[in-house]
Amino acid sequence: MASRYDRAITVFSPDGHLFQVEYAQEAVKKGSTAVGIRGTDIVVLGVEKKSVAKLQDERTVRKICVLDDHVCMAFAGLTADARVVINRARVECQSHKLTVEDPVTVEYITRFIATLKQKYTQSNGRRPFGIAALIVGFDDDGIPRLYQTDPSGTYHAWKANAIGRSAKTVREFLEKNYTEDAIANDSEAIKLAIRALLEVVQSGGKNIDLAIIRRNQPLKMFSAKEIELQVTEIEKEKEEAEKKKSKKSASS
Amino acid sequence: MAATFFGEVVWSRCRAGTEDDDDDDDDEGERDSPEDREVRRQLARRREVRLLRRQTKASLEAPLLEQHPCSAFIVAIGANAVAFASSFVMNSGVWEEVGRAGLWNEWCGAKAAADLAPAEASCIFYRLRSGPSVLLCQCSCYVAEDQQFPWLEKVFGSRPRRDVQVTVLTCRHVTDYKSPESPGSLPTPFLRALKTRAETEPPGCPPLEQPNIAHDLPAAVLSFCQVWKVPAVLYLCYTDVMKLDLLTAEAFRPALSSQSLRGLAQDVPQSRECLKRLAATDEVQSNIYT
Repeated sequence: MASRYDRAITVFSPDGHLFQVEYAQEAVKKGSTAVGIRGTDIVVLGVEKKSVAKLQDERTVRKICVLDDHVCMAFAGLTADARVVINRARVECQSHKLTVEDPVTVEYITRFIATLKQKYTQSNGRRPFGIAALIVGFDDDGIPRLYQTDPSGTYHAWKANAIGRSAKTVREFLEKNYTEDAIANDSEAIKLAIRALLEVVQSGGKNIDLAIIRRNQPLKMFSAKEIELQVTEIEKEKEEAEKKKSKKSASS
Repeated sequence: MAATFFGEVVWSRCRAGTEDDDDDDDDEGERDSPEDREVRRQLARRREVRLLRRQTKASLEAPLLEQHPCSAFIVAIGANAVAFASSFVMNSGVWEEVGRAGLWNEWCGAKAAADLAPAEASCIFYRLRSGPSVLLCQCSCYVAEDQQFPWLEKVFGSRPRRDVQVTVLTCRHVTDYKSPESPGSLPTPFLRALKTRAETEPPGCPPLEQPNIAHDLPAAVLSFCQVWKVPAVLYLCYTDVMKLDLLTAEAFRPALSSQSLRGLAQDVPQSRECLKRLAATDEVQSNIYT
């Protein structure tokens, strides 16, 4: 049945599916994993870095992009679609600032991106954007925000979420491990993001990129060394937890 | 041509047939030129399935399982199944190559079967040296529909033995899995099993639910085994990543509890490291998706 209703974006199937939108969600799964965590005083974006060709400039292959001083975004899916969406969002951020003399709220720019995506699910001759995005930042009121959008144009606020390949595995990890203790301070929130990514990243810390925004501070990208230090700490904590567990079971 | 309500243009057969149509059908065989017949003959020759001796182009005279009788025959089809077999099954023990299948079809590209250099052949058969009753096939090429039965005959023979335990490992995209839930909500990757009636051991994972079916070479192997009453089980991994992926390859681990694979996988941590190395070398750099 799908083959009769999946060629034109503007056609519903008899059971209410928009197949092109659903296929766009499959394109998102072809991108590498990205995870976002909303802490008490921090927001964290972690991504699985794709392998870069030897002659390629690594700086031009980025999954985490700044939209404004206080908002940034990670995406998964078609690279070219992401570039178009990011450019439009950046222009909108500046236009908003010039017009109303206030920076955008995270919710505003998320709604802008989601509306843009939705328009492309309802126009003939176009196709949906094949990307999902995690948008994080702080509003003027100092509250951290995390939103997720998908190709259909929906957006929702999250405490923690993942997109891209193996997103379901990462989300299940977050559901088990996102607790008030886990986000009690900034370093615990950062470790939670890295631990979530290590569940699915194939070669450990050297394939992870991490960015954080703290209240009233600009985006900070972690260097490879800093990420490696975090990964070493996580592995130490894991070993100590396992030693404790084996001591407990031996004594009982 | 016809235009639909939605503005699509579709081709439709003309219902007003002409008298010339019948004459065309009768004369079709006679209108074949000698060149056409020669091209068809060459194409048929190219599509032949041949089992070759190791590292040479000489064909094996007898079917493989008759030349190398075994009690366990493992067939890994597709990149993830092959990676799992390489890392978890072949990592322990010494395996020697006993043959390779030379075949060509439209999916293989331009190289003829006979021209394939030994290192490029992608359907290879191995035997465990320390336990010669275990045979393993790593098949990373596509075996077309018309080539499946010749492949089966060349491997199993025309009267296969019933004392061999066959295990097939393969992957399928999760969008092919029919279930009331949407593909996005399924916990991929996940494993399902389908077995022949002669196989009495329960598989190490849930059975494949109806109306899902197996496809291509795995289905052909299972059907062949069902007809000839050979005990066989197919482990089918549904995944959303068809290229080599660590999580997908590891999803086959429940299959290690089966009789034929039990005892073959010795060092699981080393196997995981081997799988990670395979995944790293196989990664193709692409800028389309990020």
